[in-house]
Amino acid sequence: MEIRPIFSALMRSKVSMILIGLQVALTLAIVCNALFIISERLDRMDRPSGMNEADTFWFGSTGFGQGFDVNGVQQSDLQLLRRLPGVAAATSVLSVPMSGGGWSTGISLQPNQRTSTASTAMYATDAQGLDTYGVKLVAGRNFKQEEVVARSINDRGVPSVIIVTRALADALFPGGDAIGKQVYLENDGPTSTIIGIVERAQTPWMGSDFIENATFSPSYMPYGTSTRFLVRAEPGRRDEVMKTIEQKMQEANPSRIIGRLRSIEQVRREAYSGDRAMAIILGVVIAALLAITALGIVGMASFWVAQRTKQIGTRRALGATKFDILRYFQTENFIITTLGLVAGGVLAYALSLWLMHAYQSPRLPWYYVPVGFLCLWMLGQLAVLGPALRASRVPPAVATRSV
Amino acid sequence: MLKMTHLQKVYRTHLIETYALRDFSINVREGEFVAVTGPSGSGKTTFLNICGLLEEFTGGEYWLDGVDVRGLDDNARSRLRNEKIGFIFQSFNLIPDLNLFDNVDVPLRYRGFGASDRKHRIEESLSRVGLASRMKHYPSELSGGQQQRVAIARALAGSPRLLLADEPTGNLDSLMARGVMELLEEINRQGTTIVMVTHDPELAARAHRNVHVIDGQVTDFDSEPALRTSSRESGMGNRESAHTEPVSP
Repeated sequence: MEIRPIFSALMRSKVSMILIGLQVALTLAIVCNALFIISERLDRMDRPSGMNEADTFWFGSTGFGQGFDVNGVQQSDLQLLRRLPGVAAATSVLSVPMSGGGWSTGISLQPNQRTSTASTAMYATDAQGLDTYGVKLVAGRNFKQEEVVARSINDRGVPSVIIVTRALADALFPGGDAIGKQVYLENDGPTSTIIGIVERAQTPWMGSDFIENATFSPSYMPYGTSTRFLVRAEPGRRDEVMKTIEQKMQEANPSRIIGRLRSIEQVRREAYSGDRAMAIILGVVIAALLAITALGIVGMASFWVAQRTKQIGTRRALGATKFDILRYFQTENFIITTLGLVAGGVLAYALSLWLMHAYQSPRLPWYYVPVGFLCLWMLGQLAVLGPALRASRVPPAVATRSV
Repeated sequence: MLKMTHLQKVYRTHLIETYALRDFSINVREGEFVAVTGPSGSGKTTFLNICGLLEEFTGGEYWLDGVDVRGLDDNARSRLRNEKIGFIFQSFNLIPDLNLFDNVDVPLRYRGFGASDRKHRIEESLSRVGLASRMKHYPSELSGGQQQRVAIARALAGSPRLLLADEPTGNLDSLMARGVMELLEEINRQGTTIVMVTHDPELAARAHRNVHVIDGQVTDFDSEPALRTSSRESGMGNRESAHTEPVSP
């Protein structure tokens, strides 16, 4: 290999080498960190909510006029919904995972605990709640209808029984014996007994640091004259049910407005729209950076080939084969890219440390940089291939031309 | 060493055919020093390019050191060029970004010699041209005459059988030109065959034999090389083998 003489020759024209090397270094540092951020966002977007998202939807009902009996309408609406063709289950809810709004509280193991043992989202629902959400009960039992209590949003009270997610149960009772245990939802209030554990139900807040902690309370809890309903359709019939639901509800009781009809898949899309946008923007930035770097390499190599035509002809006259010339330019690019990558590797980890410090982002996994090395080496070799092939086609007779 | 018979080189476009060499025949024997002269555009450089396997020809035969070069592919021509031919160019064609050591090293690397063999050859050839002490210098730090000496060292390092010189003193003043010419004569005396293209009749006169080219054809040649060389016989160890015989001028 001609690494030493090529490197020596490059050291005589440092500016071009440094510029391309810097471009490669910045590309590696930015691409590695951007890819890691994209990967994190994609992982976030892939997190399961615990719900049956494919078949469920939710909507709101807001009554108007004097004397609107929100509790009575809520019950009659539930009966109507459960009778509708295509509906597998329905319940009234306060919130659903990923919706962005809801109720949270702290759970303590002792009364008047200084800080609660864990934080949790609260989902108010009835005996059909778990079935409608589609969450999986993995221990204990479901609510009985007689345990469900009508409450006001301003006077939420403390439920005597609750069902919690496995993550919350583990946080409260790491020993794994949460069923039957009593916890405090209010500092000095009565206790609530854990009667069941569901596998998973995320909180409504995607950025929450207790996203897997949720508690189901057996409650009907309208908000003023508003109620929200969650409906699970029979498999494959969600859109069909959604199309007619508004009209049927309106026909049943015209003294209210039906609105905010959303499938849970739509709720997920909206919840993660920021992450999706971030991933797309960073993807475009990565593609643009790679393209600019590749074009920079192509430009520099093309310039060098044009500048060194006579030198290439001389090398050919002195016995270089076309492959020798091709290899010369590929090796030259390899050297420049490698120098840039070494600097870029350091820069990538430095940028990651800065992001950790400034934005509390996780540390860049070590393998991103070596994978980036391989990708940029390949990119460099591909980018230089065209100019190098052109160089290899320079005829040896160029050596004897006077211009 | 080098034998061309009825060689032809035609450049064709869809409108016109231009003969650069026409019915060109020459026989250069081992150890000879042949000067090729002729006006600009006469075909001297085309002849040199074909001699050095830098260009292909369109008709006739060319044997180089017993090898029929017709039909050789590009790689085989490169190998043959590297093994058997040393080039000296008018404008030296040194690589400006490489020091003298690395410049002389260029053809040796393509030859595939090992590092120690290359080092030995580089040092020996640079010593031969009196520049061993300047191995780490760059071409821009040398005079034109010194650069041409480096080019000669590069041409000699691979021990070629044939040295092709294209106006080797064309870019040098008379003093430097004389030094380079003396060096070429010395190399020839040590047994290397030299074919030199030149405009300079004074330089041509110092060769064993002159071949004059006009319009791509050999129009005149020195038929008495022995007479020409007898005056410089002292020091030419292979004078007997230096006898030349034009095939068909």
